[in-house]
Amino acid sequence: MSAPTAAEALGPEVLERLARPEARVEARGKVTGAAVYADDRVVEGLLHARFLGSPIPHGRIRSIDTARARAMPGVRAVLTGADTEGRRFGRRLLDRPILAWDRVLFVGDRLAAVAADTPEIAEAAAAEIEVDLEELPPVLDVRAALAADAPVLHPDAASYVYLGGERKPPSHPNIQGRLAAIHGAGEDPEALAAVFSSAAHVFEHVFRTPREHAGYLEPQATIVWVDEAGVAHVWTTNKTPYNLRDQMAAAFGEPKERFEIEGGAIGGDFGGKGYTVNEYACLLLARATGRPVKAVASPAEEFGAMNVRHASEMRLRTAVDADGRLLAHAADLLFDGGAYAGAKPLPHLSLAGGVNTLAAYRVPHVRIEARTVYTNTVPAGHVRSPGEVQALFAGESQLDIIARALGVDPLEFRVRNAVRPGEAGAAGDHFREVRAVEVLEAVRSELWDRPRVAGRGRGVALGVRHVGPGGLTLRLRLSSDGRIQVPTGIPDQGAGAATVIRRVLAATASVDEARISVVRTSTADSPQDQGVGGSRVTHLAGRAAQLLGEALSEWLDERLPAAVPTVGPGAHLHDDRLVDGATGETLATFDELAARLVEPGTPVELTVRYEAPAHGHGEPADYGFAATAVEVEVDRETGAVRLTDALLVADVGTVINPVAHRGQLEGGFAMGVGSALIEELTIDGGAVTSLSLADARLPASTDVPPLRIVQLPTTIGPGAFGSKMAG
Amino acid sequence: MTWMRPPADAHPTDTVDLRFVLNGRPVTRSVPAARRLVDLLREDLGLTGTKLGCGIGVCGLCSVLVDGAVMTACLLPVTAIADATVLTIEGLAGPDGELTAVQRAFTEHGGFQCGICTPGQVMAATALLAEDPHPDEGSIRDFLVGNLCRCTGYAGIVASVEAAAADERRS
Repeated sequence: MSAPTAAEALGPEVLERLARPEARVEARGKVTGAAVYADDRVVEGLLHARFLGSPIPHGRIRSIDTARARAMPGVRAVLTGADTEGRRFGRRLLDRPILAWDRVLFVGDRLAAVAADTPEIAEAAAAEIEVDLEELPPVLDVRAALAADAPVLHPDAASYVYLGGERKPPSHPNIQGRLAAIHGAGEDPEALAAVFSSAAHVFEHVFRTPREHAGYLEPQATIVWVDEAGVAHVWTTNKTPYNLRDQMAAAFGEPKERFEIEGGAIGGDFGGKGYTVNEYACLLLARATGRPVKAVASPAEEFGAMNVRHASEMRLRTAVDADGRLLAHAADLLFDGGAYAGAKPLPHLSLAGGVNTLAAYRVPHVRIEARTVYTNTVPAGHVRSPGEVQALFAGESQLDIIARALGVDPLEFRVRNAVRPGEAGAAGDHFREVRAVEVLEAVRSELWDRPRVAGRGRGVALGVRHVGPGGLTLRLRLSSDGRIQVPTGIPDQGAGAATVIRRVLAATASVDEARISVVRTSTADSPQDQGVGGSRVTHLAGRAAQLLGEALSEWLDERLPAAVPTVGPGAHLHDDRLVDGATGETLATFDELAARLVEPGTPVELTVRYEAPAHGHGEPADYGFAATAVEVEVDRETGAVRLTDALLVADVGTVINPVAHRGQLEGGFAMGVGSALIEELTIDGGAVTSLSLADARLPASTDVPPLRIVQLPTTIGPGAFGSKMAG
Repeated sequence: MTWMRPPADAHPTDTVDLRFVLNGRPVTRSVPAARRLVDLLREDLGLTGTKLGCGIGVCGLCSVLVDGAVMTACLLPVTAIADATVLTIEGLAGPDGELTAVQRAFTEHGGFQCGICTPGQVMAATALLAEDPHPDEGSIRDFLVGNLCRCTGYAGIVASVEAAAADERRS
C-alpha cells in the first residue's frame, strides 16, 4: 500500500475546502473597477513629475540649463543631479544615481526631474531643459565590456553603499556579480580538461537571448508626499515594500521610520516590480515643493529604461560518454546587466537561475559560471525566473543538438540523463524528492507516443525550480462581532497571496472564510516582510496562516469553559461552530464565542511567525520539476510557427487556490510562448528601439493555444497542507 | 457613432460643449476638443475603473463601449462620443451592486489575476455576448484579440466568457 499523499492525510473537511474553487479576496473590486491601483489614487494638490533622459549611451555632462523650464507657468520644481547630493539607489548595490550629475551611462539615464501642475506642462518643461553632453565611447556588449582595456563604467564602485555585507571586488571592474556551480572535476581546470579530452563526444555551442520587458500592463507609478512630521509616504507599485523602505533609508541616509511604503492593487509584476525607480526623485520633488508628487512611467520609459530581462551570451561545452550519458559540462554565461546593477536583489548580484543550464540532469563534472556585466545599455533586472529562462533555453537546446548528433530520441536522451532519487542536479541542487523521470514519462504518454502528423515537429524541455525559503510573520485581530482581520504588508500583484492566507486560515481553524478579511497595510502597520517573489509566498504565507489558525484554535480552547460552561472534552470548531466532541452537536456559533470572549472595541491580537527550516549546502531542499512539450507547424513560406498542441506536466504539492494555480501555470506558459516566438526588445547603438507595446509585443489571445496540464501531485511539499509553489 | 465637427478654425485646446450618455445618465460638459476620452473618464469624471495602459490602442486596458461597440478610450478624442452612449465598467453592476453574468463569471473561472486588464476584458466580453450570445472558443479568442492579458494566458478569460454565455441568469 502506498503512503497517503499529503492531501489524503488532511482529512475530509480540509480536502473538501481546498477542492472548492477559491473566492478571491479582491474579486469584486477587480471586476467592477473599484480596485485602486497606484495611478487611480486621488490626492489633493497633486503635482506631476516628468523626467529628462539621456539621448546618448555614454557621456560626460558639461552643463545643464534649466532656466527656461523653471520659468514656464505651472512648473513648480526642476531638479538636476546637482540637487541630489550624489545619492544613488538600488536593491543591494546602490549604484544608480537618482539623477545623473557627472556622467550618463545609458540612453534614458535621468538627467533632470520636473514637477508641474499637469503632466503636459511637466513634459513640455522637460523638453525645454538644455543639456550639453560630451560623448564617450559606449560599451555595448558583454564581450567588449570584459576586454582588458574596456572603459570602466563605475570607477568608484568600491565607494558605493552595498546592502549585503562586504562586497569583494570583482575580477574585472565591469563585472557586476558572479554565481558559480562547480563540482567533480570542475573544481580543477586541468582535471576538467582531462575529462573533456578523454570523452567520446564533446559539443560546444554559443546561445544568445535578447532583452525582454516583463510585460506587466500597469506602468510603474508612484505618489510621494511628506507629512507634518517629515515622514515620507510612498504609494507605489513596488512589490517588496519593506525592502524599498530600507533601500530608501539607505539611499537618503535617514532612519527607516521616516519612510512609509503603501499601495493598493499591483497591475502585474512578473519580477519587474521588485525594483521601481520613481520613488527617489518624487521624494526630492515633494520636499522641494511641499506638495504630493506623482510619476507614471511613459511607455518609452517602460520599454527603454526599466529593468528588462538580461540579454545573454552563453557558451556551453558538454561532454558525453559512449553510452550517451552526460559526463562533463562547462558553461560560461554572460548576462548583460546594463548600466546599473541596482535591480539585482541577491547579494551575489548575479542571477540565481543563471547556473540552471542542466539543473534537472545528472552530470558528474561541472563548472558553470554566471556573470552579470556592466554595459552602456538599459539596466537589466528580474523578469520571471531570472537567469533560469535563458540558461534553460541554452541547456535544453544543446541537449536537442546532442541527441540529434547521437541519433537518440530527444525525450529518450533526457530520460537517460535526468536526475534520479539521491542524485544532485548539475547546478548543485540536492532534492528532497526527485520526479524528473516521472514528469518525462508523463510527457511520453500524453504527447510523445501519439502518432506523428506529417509537417509537424515536436519539442520537450525539462526544468526544476526551488520552493522559496525564508520566514514570515502574520497576525490577526478578532473582534467581538466575530470578524477576523489579517493586516499584512504583503502586496498582492495578482498571484493570490491574500486568498492563500484567507483559505488556509479558514481551513485550519474551521471557520467561515467570509469572516476573514486580509487587508494590505503600510509598512508602518505590519511586521517586516520580504515581499512577493522567488516562489516564496504560498509556502511561507500559507504556513504562517496555518500557524495563525492553530493559534486561534488554541486561544479559543483555553477560554471555552468561560464561554460555554457546559463544554465537555473534545469540543472543537467545525465549520464555524463549536461542536461537542462526542455528539457533534452545536454548542455555540463562532459569533457567539467571539461575543462572549472578546471585549467590544478591544480586539484580540494573535501573532505568529513561520521560519522555514534552513537547508545547508548539500542538504536536500524542496523543488518542483516540470516539463513542457509542444507540437508545432511551420509555414514553409513565411516561417511562421503555429502551436498545434501544448502540454505542461507539473510536479505539484497540495493546491491551495485551484483556479489561481491553474492560471499561474497557463500564464507562465503564455509568457514562454511570448519569449520563444513573439517578444523582443530590439536595441540599436545602445538604445532600445521597441519603445511601445506595438513594437515590444505580447502574446494575444489568438497566439496562445489551449494548454493541457497534467499535475503529478506529490506526497510532500513544505507549504501549508503540503503545498509548493506554482508557475 | 457620430463625430462632432468643431469649427474648421478651432484649436485643439478650444473647448467644445459635449453631450453624451454615460452609464445611463446624461452628461453635459465643456471639454478641450482634443482631450482623450480616457482622460475625460479618469481625470475629469473620476471613473478610474477604466485603466490606461499603452496609450496607443494596443493593450485594450481602456476598452469601453460606445453605442455598444468596443473602443479603446485612449484613441478617441472626446468629440467622437458626442451624443453617443458610453458604457464603462462602473456602469455594469446593478443599482444594488449585483454583478452581471460576465462579471460573476470572471470572478469564478479564473478570468483575472492582477486585474489591470479586467475592466477592459469584461467590457469586451459584454459586447461580444450582446452580439453573439453563444460564441465558440475561436470566436471568443478572435473577439478578445485586442485585449492583452499577461497573467492568465487567456484560458481563464475564455472559460469565463463561456461560463457567462451559459449562465441562464444572464440578462
